[in-house]
Amino acid sequence: MKRILVIDDAATVRLYHREILEKAGFVVDEAINGLEALEKLEQAPFDLYLVDVNMPKLDGYGFLRALRQLDVPQAPAIMISTESSASDRHTALVAGANLYILKPIKPEQLLAHVQGLLGEWQD
Amino acid sequence: MGLKKGKPTPATDVPGERQQARDLDGLLLALQAEDPLTRRWAARDLEAYPEAAAALLTQLRSERENSVRQVILTALTGIGNETAIRGLIDCLYLEDVMLRNAAIEVLKELPDQVAPFMGQLLKDSDPDVRIFAVDVLESLRHPRVEEWLIEVISEDPHVNVCATAVDLLGEVGSDQAKVALASLKQRFAEEPYIQFAADLALKRIEADEA
Repeated sequence: MKRILVIDDAATVRLYHREILEKAGFVVDEAINGLEALEKLEQAPFDLYLVDVNMPKLDGYGFLRALRQLDVPQAPAIMISTESSASDRHTALVAGANLYILKPIKPEQLLAHVQGLLGEWQD
Repeated sequence: MGLKKGKPTPATDVPGERQQARDLDGLLLALQAEDPLTRRWAARDLEAYPEAAAALLTQLRSERENSVRQVILTALTGIGNETAIRGLIDCLYLEDVMLRNAAIEVLKELPDQVAPFMGQLLKDSDPDVRIFAVDVLESLRHPRVEEWLIEVISEDPHVNVCATAVDLLGEVGSDQAKVALASLKQRFAEEPYIQFAADLALKRIEADEA
């Protein structure tokens, strides 16, 4: 079963994503910021990261930059943001996101993105 | 007669620290030095001068060295006066994502100083700024927090602003928020996240009441 790490400082958002992903058969773990996410992935890497942008201690961009430099098995990352500007999207992709999507996200959209990206990554 | 060498300059304990005088004028000059280390030390010492807030903000916008930016932000947090707060709020409108997010984090650490600007921020024309304002409410210990949040979920037309507010209402909301939460669900009936978050907030409020 694929393991997904949901990284968001908002408990409600983490729970929303967890419920959608677990219903679809994924194993989900959570982190409340980028720093906690880095600690978790060093224990056991994940198959996909779902990353918020603004978080205390280490934001989503900082997490992605650190992740991409780590000597761990790499995995795709989806950045989920409320910010729609081109510069936000560009910064996310440069930092290491494979996909940049906007909140609020509907369950079927989230699953389509997750499954699509996991399929591409395997190919 | 050959030139005599002057006395060697005493070694400094920290590189870049003692190139200029450490009074306000000297530090402001050092803040614009070419050497990042000199700028960093100047920024650190300028925290003791509230009148340096404007100069720190100007340097923050042009500064490319991340370590210097961090020290400038720390100095502005320490100063925390009206000039510093207004300047940091101005950063929320920048295209520079890193600087904007750094400003948000600093402002979150200054809830009392940000509070007087909250009404204006919650009505800003930019939804991203309104989302930030709701985020700041999370760390604000202010008697009007719930009232502000109820106002947001009742009036704000942007789904993500309301979503951010409803997350927080789940934590701080009371019986007073229930009607607004029910209305929000109707207003965004097609948004699964709003339905989920509002239901969760209502459950938490009811559990607190029980």
